[in-house]
Formats: sequence, C-alpha cells, structure tokens
Amino acid sequence: MNGMEGFARMRTLQFVVICIFAVLVGRLFYIQLVDDRYEELARSNTLRRVVQYPPRGEVFDRNGEYLVQSRGCYDLMVTYRELDRAGFDTARFCAITGISETKLKRELANARMTPRKPYVVAKYLPKEDKLRFDECNFSGFYTVYRTIREYPRKIGGNVLGYVGEVNENIVKRNPDYRAGDYIGMSGVERSYEQLLKGRKGVKVQEADKHNVIQRSYMNGRFDSLPEPGSYLVSTIDAKLQLLGEELMRGKVGAAVAIDPATGEILMMVSSPTYDPDELLGRERGNNYMRLLRDERHPLFNRAVTSKYPPGSTFKLVQGLIGLQEGVLRPTDRHVCNMGYQAGKLKMACHAHASPLDLRFAVATSCNAYFCYVFRDILENPKYSSVKEGFDMWRRYIESFGFGERLGSDFLDEGTGQVPDRAYYDKRYHGSWNALTVLSLSIGQGEVGCTPLQLANLACIIANRGYYYIPHIVRKIEGCDSLDRRFYERHYTMVDARHFEPIVEGMWRSVHVDGTSKAAYLPDLDVCGKTGTAQNPNGRDHSTFLSFAPKDNPRIAISVYVEHGGFGAATALPIASLLEEYYLTDTIRRPAMLEYVKNMQLPNYAQQH
Amino acid sequence: MHSSIDRNTRLFKGVDLLAVLLYAAIVIAGCVSITSASYDDTTGSGFFSLSHFYMKQAVWVSIACTMAIVVLLLDERFYHMLAYPAYAVGLVMLVAALLFGREVNGAKAWFEFGSFRMQPVEFAKIATALALARVMSAYTFSIDRAGDLFKVALVICLPLGIIILQNDTGSGIVLGSFLFVLYREGLNKWLCVPVLLIATLFIISFLLTPMTLLVLSIVVCTLCEAMINHHWRASIIYLASLALASIVCYAALVVFAPGTADFYRTLLVVTILSLIGVAIYAYRVNLNNIYLIIGLFVGMLIFFPTTDYIFNSILKEHQQNRIKSFLGIISDPRGIDYNVNQSKIAIGSGGFTGKGFMEGTQIRYGFVPEHHTDFIFCTVGEEWGFLGTIFVLSLFCLLIFRLMRMGERQEEPFGRIYCYCVASILLFHVLVNVGMTIGLVPVMGIPLPLMSYGGSSLIAFTILIFIAIRLDAATKQFSPNKFRP
Repeated sequence: MNGMEGFARMRTLQFVVICIFAVLVGRLFYIQLVDDRYEELARSNTLRRVVQYPPRGEVFDRNGEYLVQSRGCYDLMVTYRELDRAGFDTARFCAITGISETKLKRELANARMTPRKPYVVAKYLPKEDKLRFDECNFSGFYTVYRTIREYPRKIGGNVLGYVGEVNENIVKRNPDYRAGDYIGMSGVERSYEQLLKGRKGVKVQEADKHNVIQRSYMNGRFDSLPEPGSYLVSTIDAKLQLLGEELMRGKVGAAVAIDPATGEILMMVSSPTYDPDELLGRERGNNYMRLLRDERHPLFNRAVTSKYPPGSTFKLVQGLIGLQEGVLRPTDRHVCNMGYQAGKLKMACHAHASPLDLRFAVATSCNAYFCYVFRDILENPKYSSVKEGFDMWRRYIESFGFGERLGSDFLDEGTGQVPDRAYYDKRYHGSWNALTVLSLSIGQGEVGCTPLQLANLACIIANRGYYYIPHIVRKIEGCDSLDRRFYERHYTMVDARHFEPIVEGMWRSVHVDGTSKAAYLPDLDVCGKTGTAQNPNGRDHSTFLSFAPKDNPRIAISVYVEHGGFGAATALPIASLLEEYYLTDTIRRPAMLEYVKNMQLPNYAQQH
Repeated sequence: MHSSIDRNTRLFKGVDLLAVLLYAAIVIAGCVSITSASYDDTTGSGFFSLSHFYMKQAVWVSIACTMAIVVLLLDERFYHMLAYPAYAVGLVMLVAALLFGREVNGAKAWFEFGSFRMQPVEFAKIATALALARVMSAYTFSIDRAGDLFKVALVICLPLGIIILQNDTGSGIVLGSFLFVLYREGLNKWLCVPVLLIATLFIISFLLTPMTLLVLSIVVCTLCEAMINHHWRASIIYLASLALASIVCYAALVVFAPGTADFYRTLLVVTILSLIGVAIYAYRVNLNNIYLIIGLFVGMLIFFPTTDYIFNSILKEHQQNRIKSFLGIISDPRGIDYNVNQSKIAIGSGGFTGKGFMEGTQIRYGFVPEHHTDFIFCTVGEEWGFLGTIFVLSLFCLLIFRLMRMGERQEEPFGRIYCYCVASILLFHVLVNVGMTIGLVPVMGIPLPLMSYGGSSLIAFTILIFIAIRLDAATKQFSPNKFRP
C-alpha cells in the first residue's frame, strides 16, 4: 500500500467519523430542538400538584345562627418507608388517635404497597387528638388539614343536604374535581355547590423518582392559596325548623312553611329525618348505608319530591276557578244530602247544614258542593265540549304551580302530577266526561302534589292571586341579589277579587263553623283548610293548609302526615303550633304540644 | 534536531498540546457533569466531603494525571517492547476476572478491592491495541495475505472471546471497532462489507427468514468477490447458474420425490456443492482472496442458524429486551424502555441552552438511571442543552481527528496503527454511549470516555491516549513537520 492510497483511506475514514457525528448531532437536534414532547414528559415526571383544600362555605339561618359550620380536622397520613418500625408503640398510638389496632394493622399493610407514597391511615382526626398526636412525634406519620361539616343545631338534614366524596362519574364529567374531593350530594349543599365549595389552592412542587417532594417549583410562582367558599344565609328559621322536626317526629310526612310576601321557605321538614352529623366522619359509611336501607327512606326529601293526593285542600282551587270562569258566584247554594249523587255515582259527605253557600262549603269542606262546581267548570257551555272545559281547567291548575316544577332551588324538586286530556283519552279510550273524573274535584284520584306545591297554594291564597317561587337561600356572600326568578310575582289565572270569598271561608273554618276550629289563635286571624285524603295503602292521609294573619299574612304553611287520619286530627295541630310559635314566639297550648309530641301513628312502627 | 538526552531533560518537548488540551477539556466537562449529577445537599456532609462521587472523581483525575506523566516519561520504544507482555497480562486478567471476578449487572467482568472496582477489559483494550500495532507493524506483514490476516483476527478475537464469555458483550464489541484500523492499513474494502454485514445481521437476523438470509449472503459475498477481483462476468454467470441449478434440482425433486421438496434446502445444498467448484477455480487462477470470501460465507452459514440460539440462550433476557426495544419490537416505557426513555426525556427537555448548572430536574431527582456513569451525557444534554451536547461532541470529534492526524504523521507503522486504534476505540465508545442515551443504539454498558464516573475507565483511557501522545512526541522529536499532505 503506497502513501497516496493511505492518504485516500484516511480521508474516507475522516468522512466516516464526520458522518457518525453528524448522525448524533442530527438526532440531538431533533430531540432537543424540534420535538417538544420531551419537555412535557419531563414536567410530568417531576411536577406534583399538591391541593390545598379550602374550607367549605357556612350556612346561616335567617337570624344569623349557624346551621352548618366548617370545622378543621386532620387526615392522618403515613409514609411507610419513614416508619420507625422497631420503636413504634402500637398501643400508645392507638390510644392517642382512637384507631383500633386491627384497623391500624390493615392500613399499614396497605401503606406498605407504596412505601414511599403518603397513605391515608385515618380521616377526620379531631383537633384535640391531633395536638396530642403531635406531642408524641411518631416518625413517618403526619397530618393534613381538611375541613369537615358541622351542624350545631343538628337540624334540617334533608334541607341542607350532605356532602360526600366524589365518585368516578363526577370526576369524569367535571374536571374541577379530583378523587378524594367532597361535593354536595343533596339539598342546599348540592344546589349551591359552586358557591360553597370555594376554590382549591395548589402548591406546585418538584418530586423525585420516588415521589418524594424535593422543593417548591419556580419558588412558588405557580402556587395559589385556597379561597374559602362563600357563606349562605338560608331562609330557614332555625327555631321553627327545630320545633317542626320535633312535632313531626314519629310521623311520616312533610311540613313546609313559607313567608308569602317573599316566597322564602321558613321551615321545611321531611319526616323521618336524620341527624346530619351522622353523615360525617368515620362512621359516615355505616350510617349512610343504614339510612339508605331504612324502609322509611329518611334520606328522601318528601317535602319537595313526594306526590301526595291534596284531598280537600284542592277544593279551594276548584272554587277559585269556578269564580273566575263565572260558573260560580259566592252566593250560589247547592244541596248536600250526605253527599253528591248523579245517576249511579255517589260522592259521600259528612253531616252538615244544607243547602249551603261557597263560604260555608269551604269552611265545612263539603264534597258535594265542589262536585257541582267542578261539573260546572267542565260542562261550561262556553266551551264546545267537556274535554275543552277540562283543558281550560288544567291550564288554571298549572297556573297555581301544580303538575310542574315550581323552579325552587332544590335540584331534586318533584313535579307532582296533574293528568291531562291525553291521559284520560288513553285510559277511557276517549269516552269520558265530567263524572268520570269527578274525584279530581276533591283532590283525589290521579292528582298528586308535593308538600312544597301545597304550601305554595297557601301562599297564593294568602297573597290573593300570586306567588314568589319558594326558595331556601336569602343571601349569598359577595352577591347583591339572588337569581332573578325569585323576585318575580307569578300570577295565577284567577283575579284577586275572587279570592276574598275563599279566604272568608277559610277564616270561618277556623273561627265560626268549620273543620279547623282547633287552629284558632287569639288575635291572629288564622285561615285554614283541612284535608283528608283517601289512599289505597291504608288510613287516610291528614293534611292542613293555612296562613295567618288573614290580612298581611306572615306565614303560609302546609302540613302533610301520611296515614294521619282526619286533617283536623294530626296535621292541623302541628300546623297550628308552628304558626303560634312563629307569630308569637311562645306556645300557650302545652296540652296540644304534648298531644302532638306523643302522637305515635300506629303504622309508623310497622310501615309497609 | 534534538538529541534524545535533550528530550529527557525537557520532559514535554514535542508533546501535542492540542490533544492534551482536548483531553483536559473533556475531563473537566466530565467532572462538572458528575458534580451536577451527584451533588446531594441532603446528606449533610460538606461540599468537599469524599462521600460525593465528584470528589472521588477528583481523586481519580489526579491519579490519572500522574499516570499520564508516567506514560510520558517512559521511552517510546518501551511500548513497542511491552506490547506482547502487556497483551499476555491483559488476557490473564480477563481470564482471572472470568474465573474469580465479581458479577455486576450480569457481567462477570470486575475485580473488587474494597470499595474500588475495576474492569480489566479497560486495560485489555490498551494491550490489544498495542499488540495489534505490533503485529501489523512487523516488517513482513502484508494485510492481503490470508495468514497475516489470520494473525490479526487471532489478536482481536482472543480477548473478544473471553469478554463475550464474561457476558460483557458491549465491551467486547468495542474490539470490533478495530475494523476501522484494518481499513486504514489497506484491508480490501470489499472484505469490510461482509464483515459489517455479519455485524448488522447479528442484530436483526432473527427478524429475517433463513431463506432471505441465505440469498442475501450469497449475493453480497459474490458481488464483493466481483468487486475485489473485477470478475463481474464470472460472478454473474455463477449466480445465474446457481439459481438455474437450484431450480432444476427443485423441479426434479418435485417430480421424483414429491413431498420432500424444499427450496431452501435445495439452494443450500447446491450452494455448498458449488463452493467446491469455486475453490478449485480459485486454486487454478491463484486468487487467494476468494478463499477469504468462502471462509466468510461459510462462517455466515454456520453463524446465522446459531444467532437464534445465541439470541435466545446466550444473551440474557435484559440484553434481548434492549435489542428488541431498540428495534421497536416491544414498547414498554415503564419497564424495559425505562432507561432510554428517561434518558431521552432528560436530554430532550434541555432544549437549546439547557436548564443550567445543577438545575436539571430529571437527573437530580433520579429519573435517569446510572446518571453519573453510563448516562452522564444526559446531564450535559439536560443542563447545558443543545449547545452543551454540541460542545462535548465537538471535543470528542476534534480529539479523534487529532489522533488520526497524529497517526498519519508517525514514521513507524507501529505508532500509526496504535493511534488509529485509539481513535477507533474512542469513536466507538462515543457512538455507542451517546447513541444509547438518545435511542440510536441499543443499551450497552459502555462508558463515555473520560467523562463517565469511574476510576478504572478514566485511568485506562488516559493511558490509552497518552501512549499515543508519547509516540507522537517521539516522532516530532526526530522529524518535525514530516507529514505534508
């Protein structure tokens, strides 16, 4: 091999070297400058977002008393690797934290799976335990601040609702939530979740390969502090609510009181209810399952969801429609001979003077009278047929807020039920008339109302023709006003002047010669209407609709007790005591109070 | 002209300053990277505590400097003389490591003295380079002679075999880089092709069917032969007749013994039979290099059926997985691919200017494994970015060029061959190590020369490079500026 060839070969080899380095540089160029995927991956390798939980907003009652508070508590965490296993005094640890030894063992075994990662050993450690725990200095264990709900008065479980950990579905739908976050599951907690939850803060930190936090990222430039949730002032009157829950104890049903001038819900009781504290803390899971399995469904807010036949309270609406339609005058008298008879059909009534006019018919709750009224409405010659008349009747009913959601701030509000023409056409194959659906006249049959709708009816009558949508929240921190819909008057299709005879009848029912005499309160001009709704499941439901005072009413109330018998027997005293307490701040009828409190409905114990 | 006495009094006369500077720059870059990769302020010991890797490395650097001075002090003829004894000692050390050594990462290739571990293969590389230079610089040596080539193959394959037995395949393949040297010394380039082919096919052979492999080797070998001897006609006739004969035989089998016909076997048998004819032809026209081609071909025939076996039985599972993941057969970013993936993330996240000294999160928080040894280049990539990687690669590139140039200006073939050996070893190490951190080359446990943490590696490379500098200094001493292209 001569020198020239050697030189040529050197050049070739230099070329090879250049090529190799060019390939390396080219690849580095691509990885470092072109492909920005790696930067992202590097960030996801190291950055850990540690969530700072804000305290959830409080809820006050209308007088500024706490209904729901947020209390600080602590989650007890462990990092297994840092555990001092030799010097760990299990018995002392359990004594201080109140965790059973078996649970501790189980949780430590779980923690062992991820020895470098923090693991939740126990939740909801109260502050006292935490302080004692801090003194002992168990290595590997530490606490993390969370907040937990607290209910100083232990009332309004169903109204206020409860919070729970988010499930997978919620996390999937709503990116704001992460596993372990709390969310309002029912009642106010659910309706006002966005306001109550506040904003989570975040600490961005750098973690190493073992997920151990090393330092704050960019000196905390991307960190944010948690913002506490807004507080709410509820429309609930805590004292009235407490009394309501006491009175309804031992009964199944609901009671709703509304301030008719504003539509604010003063009290909402669904019975049986539960102690909201039960759905907190370590025993939450067990309690929740027990409540869920309870056959009387304490977690079910009857006041806004259940459909009850309104019974005689519905007669008020029939009277109003009749007056408006011009088929009834207050002075019209009908005969009632222990009931209403049309051909084979007979609608029984109780014994009272006959014939009678509208005022007395309302006061004494005459079935026959309102059968006449109802027939007259449907068979009004103004309309071409009974069915047309029925359509018109239904439109009136809807204007009273029945058969559809009122639009309150309860997300689980029910619609109630008012059958329409198509329903009857289908049921009776097109051939039906006023007599077929006659039971509607006295609030029986296919009609169903929620207790909230009935309370709303009391408001409408108290207001002589309009209502505000009932709502549970009065003021929100940082907001000047509520949703606009709560400030709008919703007028019914009945003129104000037609309400006077009905109100008169309700007043007479209490004061003169009616079914509601026990609801009399001196100087308060209580107006009331009892209802006794037959039902296929057993004893009649007892209901009472009332407002007071007659002029410038301050409270409208509806009480519904399942299987309570006569309206005057069960629902009336409850409503009357609540009115008395709300309007006078005292109860001067201890006997009635005792009677109601001790009243155990026979079928409460052995519910279907 | 200076006398040799004069040189001895003036120690560093003739030493190539650029090479030494490049060496120093790379070592310093290595120290900076190791400092950044291993500094851990949570241990509580001070910055200068010897418990840190960078402080240990500093100690090694000072030892390496001493070694470099010792190497420069010795007479250049000493290395020529020392070549064979050193080679013998190297082989003995390799065998000793194989028998008594300690197993690290599956390779039984380490000696352990207290906390200090050393890998004899680092020093075996020096010995092999010296021995190779000595063999090839012999006056009677001719690279075209089969017997001499056999000697060369023996010098390379003896340590290679032992290293492969140690299950340290990565380090073993380094010796394969001497092909670079053989080419410079006049090895016919068409012999390089089948050798490179074998190397490539070794990695991907299990992807191809035996039929493809056979046809590929026949065609490549025949064409290389044609290129060497300019026997284009004969080669094409040979290929055509081979194909024709196989088809005829296959057809005959189909007709006379249906069911036993198998084109692959037919072709194989016909080819092997034809080799006898080829050998007779070579004997008659007196073309020795045909025997070489035949030898390579037969080697391939024996070799390929065994690659499956080698792959499945000799390679450990992690080695198989590395190759598979490199070829994209399996993808498992959390498991097998984890190292390469994290390494790519670290380098890729560096961007243009990097995150700054000691600011690299991926390295500091331990996402990149072996970040101060084999994956030290990640630190450069992450903390100094594209600029840093370019800088380090340029240092290596310049050093390699300098070594080649130092080789070219040698008077004696011994020095030239040795310098090329050093250049090829460096080139291979850089290619494989950097290539592996950016996913171009399967993961092999090969350090980045002079930069990776580790005493034995640093000292061995220092000795390797400074012998070349010493040999070069001697040449310049006696005939400055001899080399003029």
